[in-house]
Amino acid sequence: MTSIAPNPSVLSRLYLDAVLPCLTDLGDQDPTARAIMGNTRASIALRILGGPGALVRFDRGAIAWSHASNSWPSVTLLFFSRSHLNAFFAGATWAVPLPIWGGWRIGLLARFAKLAARLEAVLNGHTEVLASADGRRLYTRLSLIAAGLGLAPLAEGDAQAIAMLRTLPQGLAAFRIEGEPNSTVWFDHGAKRKASGWSDPPRRPDVCIVFGSLRLAYAAMRDEADTMAAIGAGEMTIDGLVPLADGLNVVMERLRIYLQP
Amino acid sequence: MNSSDNRFKRSQELFARAAQVIPWGIYGHASPVASLPGAFPYYAERAKGCQYWDVDGNEYIDYLCGYGPMILGHQHPAVEEAAARQQRDALCLNHPGPVMVDLAERLVSLIEFSAWAVFGKNGSDMTAWCMQVAREHTKRRKILKVADAYHGISPAWTPGHGGLIEEDRVHIHDFSWNDLESFDALVKRHRGDVAGVIMTPFHHPAFKASQMPAPGFWTHIESTCRKQGIVLILDDIRAGFRLHLRGSHKVFGFEPDLICFCKAIANGHALSAALGRKELRVAASKVFLTGSYWNSAPAMAASLACLEVMQREDTVATLKRTGEGFMSGLVEVARKHGYDMSASGPPALPFPTFDSDPDLRRQQRFCAEVTRRGALFHPHHNWFLSSAHQPAHIQATLAMADEALALMESEGI
Repeated sequence: MTSIAPNPSVLSRLYLDAVLPCLTDLGDQDPTARAIMGNTRASIALRILGGPGALVRFDRGAIAWSHASNSWPSVTLLFFSRSHLNAFFAGATWAVPLPIWGGWRIGLLARFAKLAARLEAVLNGHTEVLASADGRRLYTRLSLIAAGLGLAPLAEGDAQAIAMLRTLPQGLAAFRIEGEPNSTVWFDHGAKRKASGWSDPPRRPDVCIVFGSLRLAYAAMRDEADTMAAIGAGEMTIDGLVPLADGLNVVMERLRIYLQP
Repeated sequence: MNSSDNRFKRSQELFARAAQVIPWGIYGHASPVASLPGAFPYYAERAKGCQYWDVDGNEYIDYLCGYGPMILGHQHPAVEEAAARQQRDALCLNHPGPVMVDLAERLVSLIEFSAWAVFGKNGSDMTAWCMQVAREHTKRRKILKVADAYHGISPAWTPGHGGLIEEDRVHIHDFSWNDLESFDALVKRHRGDVAGVIMTPFHHPAFKASQMPAPGFWTHIESTCRKQGIVLILDDIRAGFRLHLRGSHKVFGFEPDLICFCKAIANGHALSAALGRKELRVAASKVFLTGSYWNSAPAMAASLACLEVMQREDTVATLKRTGEGFMSGLVEVARKHGYDMSASGPPALPFPTFDSDPDLRRQQRFCAEVTRRGALFHPHHNWFLSSAHQPAHIQATLAMADEALALMESEGI
């Protein structure tokens, strides 16, 4: 428990680099999301004035995320500040971005708004999402991806995360759910570089944290699992540099403070 | 728990039941999370000397000794007889028994700088209380400690993460072991407000090799504390009576103001103690101290017997001799198979680690393989020797290590 307030810069990075990338898995796994986007072929850039951005591409059901590039997207949405973007993602009605390009593509923007609402419903674990096994699976996968990708922004800007990471051994940690393809997220806690990814890790991880089942991972993501007992029972494994896993778990819990509904 | 050969069947069954009704299933340092899930037994049934048997009947030479208390070995006859004799008279009375006075006198005579003693049940009882005594004595707030050091489960320094608030540690500050610059910087920054420094005689963090004090480290800490009026608290809970019968500070040439004992003080019976200088007596009298079972006499009787045996048999010398032979043998066996192993820590509480093993996997596999063969090696926590470990046990253990390392070598681990 801490009174250290969330850092707005970290929050905007989390939205851009941890939450938005979840759209890719949403497109891959969720028929509802695919139905929303249909055969759309387009791209939307979200930019903070003088700050970071992200690009989301839609290609007939597939959704790809990348850092904002200089390419010409179909639509560019500009936020005047990090707080502006944060307020937008938090659902503030006044915080609409300025469409500096492609604002006439009303249909695309409407579909994107629906897709964002679907993503929010999944990540926030809305009742109707969690009512079905498919919804719980989606929630679990996306929560793990967001948590893993969120480690780098937290490591770079959150005071509590930085303090915790200072006490941890360096190394690369990978998290995955047994039986779930493309569920591996990793975080490289290097001396100078902190990086996270959703992919095969760039090298052999120093510690692997594996949830033995979707059921356990779901409970863990909802903070409803006794993971220590699960490890003892062999339902979850931590192989390698245990102190790194232990500390990263605490850092991941900061994500709840930032992204609580 | 995924033991493929069913050798932990009963442990598995018990853990499955435990997980339903006990948080973590097994919590604290004995949790499977801290050791090797699936490669360690979870529940034990009986023990004798330096051996014990888990609930599935697997036999182990014990290199954890109950995480320290069993300095004379399990079920030591003189200690058990003393405890049983006391218990026949009474287990838990409204008042302390005469044995409490006997034990306080005995300890005060043993620990040369001390003038008084108090008793509790766990190490945490004593470290937390000593922190208060230091504050009461100095009327200051700050407590300095070594980063990664374990001093119990007080919110001031528990290694756990849950249930803490920032205010718990506002006045607790860490410096690095053997880093006098970081220590001096803290003393300077908080000059006039440092109540106490709490340290273990050598550094024994979990998941890392132990570190002995560098030359001049302790004398600098001691002299700074004297100059600045800071209370020096020696947490001798883990090492106490294994390095020196009169307190581990005797080995390193300094004197603390307060010293905490537990573990080996009563060979497994629940007892802890804190002793202090005459000058801290008034402060000690002002800091409240009690517990439901703290008058219980059998553990105190066990402690008197344990101290008597340790002194008569010079247990410290025995452990040093045994540990030196054990560690040199282990390092040699490792070298034979192409591994560089270092025996960190003092011989009586050794912690051998592989020199090039940043992710700990080699250490974990080695400890798992030796444990499977019948000697309990913890991969992440320092080991403990007892006077019950005989040369034959050490030889048998080295043979197990040889087999384990040969297997690892053949697999290229």
